[in-house]
Amino acid sequence: MFPNSKRDIAFPFLGSIVLFVVLFGGGLIYQTILGNGSAERLVTTMLVDAIIVIGIQIYIGNTGILSFGHIGFGAIAGYVFAVYAISPEEKLKRIPAAPFGLTETQVSPWLAIAIAVAVTLVFAVIVGIGLARSGAQSGSVAATVITLALLFVTHEVAKSWPELTGGNRGGISFGIGESLSGRWPILVVLFGSLVVARLYGQSRSGRLAIAAREDNLAARAMGVNPLVQQMVALLLSVAIVAIGSSLRVWQIGSILPDRFFFDYAMLTLVMLIVGGRNSVTGAVLGVAVMTAARELARRLGQNGFEVFGIGLDEPPLDWIFRENLNSVVLGVAMVAFMIWRPTGILEDWEFDQWLYRKIGRGGETKPERLSELETIPDATFTASDISVSFGGFQALSNAGITAQSGEVVGIIGPNGAGKTTFVNVITGMVEPTDGQFSIDGQALSGKASYELSRSGLVRTFQNLRLFGALTVRENIETAGLVAREHRSDRAVRDVDALMTEAGLWEHRDRRARELDYGNSRRLELARAAAMAPSFMLLDEPTSGMSDSESITMIEQVRHMAATVGAGVIVIDHDLGFITGISDRIYVFDQGKVIAEGTPAEVQANPHVQAAYLGSAAIT
Amino acid sequence: MTELLQNLIDGLGRGSIYALLALGVAVVFGIMHLLNFAHGELITIPGYLTYWAFQNNWSWWTVVPLIIVSAVLTSLLIERIAFSRVRGAKDFTLLLTSFGVHFIVAAGFLLYVGAAVKPYPRPDWFADTVSAGSLNVEVFDLVVIGVTIVVLAGTTWLLQRTMFGLALRAAASDFDTARLMGVKSDSVIRGAFALSGFLAGIAGVFWIMREGQMTPTAGIPPMLQGVLAALIGGLGSLRGAVLGGLVLGLAEVLLRSWLPVGIQNLTTGFVFVMIALLFIFRPGGLLSVPQVERV
Repeated sequence: MFPNSKRDIAFPFLGSIVLFVVLFGGGLIYQTILGNGSAERLVTTMLVDAIIVIGIQIYIGNTGILSFGHIGFGAIAGYVFAVYAISPEEKLKRIPAAPFGLTETQVSPWLAIAIAVAVTLVFAVIVGIGLARSGAQSGSVAATVITLALLFVTHEVAKSWPELTGGNRGGISFGIGESLSGRWPILVVLFGSLVVARLYGQSRSGRLAIAAREDNLAARAMGVNPLVQQMVALLLSVAIVAIGSSLRVWQIGSILPDRFFFDYAMLTLVMLIVGGRNSVTGAVLGVAVMTAARELARRLGQNGFEVFGIGLDEPPLDWIFRENLNSVVLGVAMVAFMIWRPTGILEDWEFDQWLYRKIGRGGETKPERLSELETIPDATFTASDISVSFGGFQALSNAGITAQSGEVVGIIGPNGAGKTTFVNVITGMVEPTDGQFSIDGQALSGKASYELSRSGLVRTFQNLRLFGALTVRENIETAGLVAREHRSDRAVRDVDALMTEAGLWEHRDRRARELDYGNSRRLELARAAAMAPSFMLLDEPTSGMSDSESITMIEQVRHMAATVGAGVIVIDHDLGFITGISDRIYVFDQGKVIAEGTPAEVQANPHVQAAYLGSAAIT
Repeated sequence: MTELLQNLIDGLGRGSIYALLALGVAVVFGIMHLLNFAHGELITIPGYLTYWAFQNNWSWWTVVPLIIVSAVLTSLLIERIAFSRVRGAKDFTLLLTSFGVHFIVAAGFLLYVGAAVKPYPRPDWFADTVSAGSLNVEVFDLVVIGVTIVVLAGTTWLLQRTMFGLALRAAASDFDTARLMGVKSDSVIRGAFALSGFLAGIAGVFWIMREGQMTPTAGIPPMLQGVLAALIGGLGSLRGAVLGGLVLGLAEVLLRSWLPVGIQNLTTGFVFVMIALLFIFRPGGLLSVPQVERV
């Protein structure tokens, strides 16, 4: 579940302790200095907000899907908690006609929290299915509107079902027997959420979710099913938000529909965004910064501070330092960050990972280059009679190829020959009108792209699709995680060795988006090899490369394929590269295979010359 | 039968307002992939101006143009101040920017006008009805439906028959190519926001009349209805937006009349559940625009 126990368990745990101490310690210092009850309440509120924001971070941060709905889940949890936790006497006053005989029920606050979490999770599963059906992925607009709708439904139901919720005016207030007096439950839950959020981010599921956040298509091509990881992230995240929301109700001592609505959704989102939504450290920082900023604005607006002898609530500044200034601050912070720094203060800087790189890792030794496999496991890729027509246009007619493991097969053809359509078919992007393809007789037609790669057909992309925010090592590791689960019968090679192999060892801690073009290409190749594929499908691997780079690429591709025992199917328009790298070549023209053979045979073929040079050249 | 007919007219009246809002949302979405959560502010800002105008003894004859003009100007202003700075940014950034704009405006009202409800008079014909046999129809609904038909016809003409419409549709289907073909991106984006503001202004006239009062957060319901209707119809489809608005309006009215008396106030909740079901079975909305995944 965790690729590296020191980096992915020990340091995140240590980091959570540090974050917890800093946040809580900062709060304690503040309340000691001010020494009044309002400072103490502010700190408590901040700690509860932190739990909820960390919960939201697990979903938004790891999947990249903007959700307003978490506060809606919070509302569900808050009401369930309240309805179960408050005393029957209190309920007789507030909600005497509660359905399901709830008026007489009372359980301990802790059991009430457990029930709240369970009920909320049921809703989360339903919403999660809806999100998956909508094709949710990083930045999905439809997914965000679904979560927004959830926020409104819960608010609407809370307002208009007073028998259960006490309605809009009175709400439910209680009376649990004792309201939350000590802070320790909040502290325990806060620390727990920090640990869970950090561990999840480093876990297999978290990694795969982040990979899909960075590039959904590439993640699927690496065998990741993003919808599964999104669901895991959603449930974990909602569970923490549900506990946090129950504590919030417990601590405030009452619940009203508006407590879990737009304003709170906005507050928690701003906290998350300002610090940096992609890291837990960022979320904690955002909570601290926004709590301070809002408190400052509230005081400036209310009491009229003097700064250097200038009264801030008198002319000429009285138009800005007014009551409710703190809510304007939220909106302004949101828009300002979106315009100038949409990734927040810390981007995706994570304290414990930084610490690990500084002190935890110790000396790393560059591994030896990988040796080529001595016995290459047999595999055959067959695509036969593939036809595709778009409307009336026949893009492919009865095209077919075969490839053996250990072999490099080139596909070449002029523009419009049908190469791209052919690649799209065998990567699951286009449904063929007719024909099928398979590996060792196992039919692959009609499978989703993540199933294709799990079955051993792994592709690269013409226009480079790396997981930009992940480091070089993490990019390869992600593929390795999938390979270890789905490709364990094949040669799953060591991540570090693959990095060395691709000449990327020196760049191992750099983010993929910072690499130059040649290194990016090599990283994509290494990432594909880490999947332990039976066949690697390389889509224009030299596009944008110089001639000399293309020639080095030939050796790299052949060697990389040999270390994992994969066959290679390579599509390119560069005749020199294809003849240099391929054992056999298929020539496509006008949707058909017009020639097949060794490079020399193909070059001598008159049909090929005609297709490339025009028939006039050979007559 | 009579009741059904009456509900249909009522639903179409509501739906027409939603359709205008949704069309405005869809036009902006098409041009810059921005789902505008600040669309409701094109109603609250004119709404507070309405309150101010009636404080100064204006009449509806002068307030109606004020609403429309101020909606257009607000739309252009928001584009200028906020959205023009995040053009081409990721969807996540665009969504949060518009959400932030909504929040700033709402908080601004809170700061300078206060949380108290600001009432103004409805037009004196607002509650009038006309009867045909046993059928009682609100004049308001008829006016809304009539005006909407005219506005939609005009918008269709604008989009189909003018250079601006052509540029806008071209930019909506492929922004970069349209630019290469000589479409001026600035003017077409501003045009889209102006159109969006105009449509919201027309919808706003009716919305503001019907509400009879303003609060700082009054922009949320029209925004939500507009966004949801656009989504029901299929994001990116202008026809879908109009259809989505009408469907949403009809669904609300019909559901309210069919639900048993005890749970009628949960209508909105049920409408949301129906929308959720729609998305589960037809994720792209009613007139979904096919999304081609590009490699």
